[in-house]
Amino acid sequence: MASGVTVNDEVIKVFNDMKVRKSSSSDEVKKRKKAVLFCLSEDKKKIIVEEGKQILVGDIGESVDDPYACFVKLLPLNDCRYGLYDATYETKESKKEDLVFIFWAPEGAPLKSKMIYASSKDAIKKKFTGIKHEWQVNGLDDIQDRSTLADKLGGNVVVSLEGRPL
Amino acid sequence: MSGGVYGGDEVGALVFDIGSFSTRAGYAGEDCPKADFPTSLGVLVEEEGGGEMGAEQEKATGRTFYLDTNALHVPRAGVELFSPLKNGMIEDWEAFQAILDHTYCKHIKSEPSLHPVLMSEAPWNTRAKREKLTELMFEHYNIPAFFLCKTAVLTAFANGRATGLVLDSGATHTTAIPVHDGYVLQQGIVKSPLAGDFITMQCRELFQEMNIDITPPYMIAAKEPVREGAPPNWTKKDKLPPVTKSWHTFMCNEVIQDFQASVLQVSDSPYDEQVAAQMPTVHYEMPSGYTTDYGAERLRIPEGLFDPSNVKGLSGNTMLGVGHVVTTSIGMCDIDIRPGLYGSVIVTGGNTLLQGFTERLNRELSQKAPPSMRLKLIASNSSMERRFSPWIGGSILASLGTFQQMWISKQEYEEGGKQSVERKCP
Repeated sequence: MASGVTVNDEVIKVFNDMKVRKSSSSDEVKKRKKAVLFCLSEDKKKIIVEEGKQILVGDIGESVDDPYACFVKLLPLNDCRYGLYDATYETKESKKEDLVFIFWAPEGAPLKSKMIYASSKDAIKKKFTGIKHEWQVNGLDDIQDRSTLADKLGGNVVVSLEGRPL
Repeated sequence: MSGGVYGGDEVGALVFDIGSFSTRAGYAGEDCPKADFPTSLGVLVEEEGGGEMGAEQEKATGRTFYLDTNALHVPRAGVELFSPLKNGMIEDWEAFQAILDHTYCKHIKSEPSLHPVLMSEAPWNTRAKREKLTELMFEHYNIPAFFLCKTAVLTAFANGRATGLVLDSGATHTTAIPVHDGYVLQQGIVKSPLAGDFITMQCRELFQEMNIDITPPYMIAAKEPVREGAPPNWTKKDKLPPVTKSWHTFMCNEVIQDFQASVLQVSDSPYDEQVAAQMPTVHYEMPSGYTTDYGAERLRIPEGLFDPSNVKGLSGNTMLGVGHVVTTSIGMCDIDIRPGLYGSVIVTGGNTLLQGFTERLNRELSQKAPPSMRLKLIASNSSMERRFSPWIGGSILASLGTFQQMWISKQEYEEGGKQSVERKCP
């Protein structure tokens, strides 16, 4: 069952830019998004890219020390969001990168917001073709420990996330 | 979209959530339902067609219905009490219509043809019944648009979850319903009859053992205060009509239900005689004026919900306690989604308002769930949300501007027939 809410083209463009890795100059890499949040438009009809709520690859090491912790801080405690996070992690064998789709619905969000975001999740997920990891998060305690994301990515074979050991 | 989109932007949609115990109805977009009354109704079967004056509903079949809180409580000769629902699904369509007629006329006070209707349904509702309901709403009530939603999905959404296990303990059943990405996983539904009505039955037996008479308020003309434990001193109303057994039982059950809500408490660990003996007693006064204190019974009675093995009158261990209902249901789902279900166990339904219910469930699940699973129980603190969550969810959904394209419009129904419901409301 769905709400009928639609997904703005901008959202799909952001997703494709994060998913497809073109060989690009280091300047272009810096402008690539590490993480981004999506929210409902004012009129509650569309899912749009939330302005200012993003981390660029180039920010890491500059204004952002730990991208994961920074991403968790972007999430509002009193409202729902969708998010994409481009995780870099290591297993014993290799380095990997994976996109994670996050549905954030904290207990403190208004019931109406929970209802709209939950019933619209399918609409946005359908646009994110080929996404491997989907994560429903309902509070900070589900997400602030980086090992929960590591679990999601590959269970106990993950040894480090964003260059930090678990 | 094709021309099938329902057009009226401003006309309020209606939301109906008809459960085995009570019927909730009201306008979409409001915080709580306008109407909330018992689903059970009184029925009088006319013998010679001579209708009684002032009857609520009269039908060609000669059945007269008495419903809603006030009419239901008036003692009348020969009026039997019954529920039009069986197993959460509509069984008696004529009586069901009487409920709708009454709601439109007395609570909504508007024409059915003006409002789209979103209705909740049991997750196990059958295709035949869904189609029949769709037909009834369009053909008989002439509504402009219709939508059917599974209660568990509405509850999950209202709790901010597209995936989760909904544990719904109501009057007739305790059910675990796995919801994944907004759809019910039918093969994982587990039901147990250990619910509110079962507790009522256990209380009834307790009162029999204790020799306490249950006297419903309708019989009582006056009462005198008596000291604790003394026989009640009340006078019976004269000229009471000869009421039926089913009606009298319903009235007694209402007395017991109040007792349940005020006195009972679920023990936080498996029942222990010695712990129970130290339970603080609670004073309770019956409508007849009889008062006494209840101690160990407070814990003993609801224990059967979680541990049916010691319940008298149940055959062996065939019934599942609440904790088992949850674990069995999750165990029947694909292994990949089990963590998501254990991580969002949503507790809903009137029976879960028993004191200590969620605490005990949490304890049982943390023992029964595989140790690697993160377990999380979600129970709204507001009793209104716990009782009305499907209604509230439906109210939000049906008030969304974007939801208009989801409705089955009258035009779509006319073109596609009653089968449209399978396509539009999977």
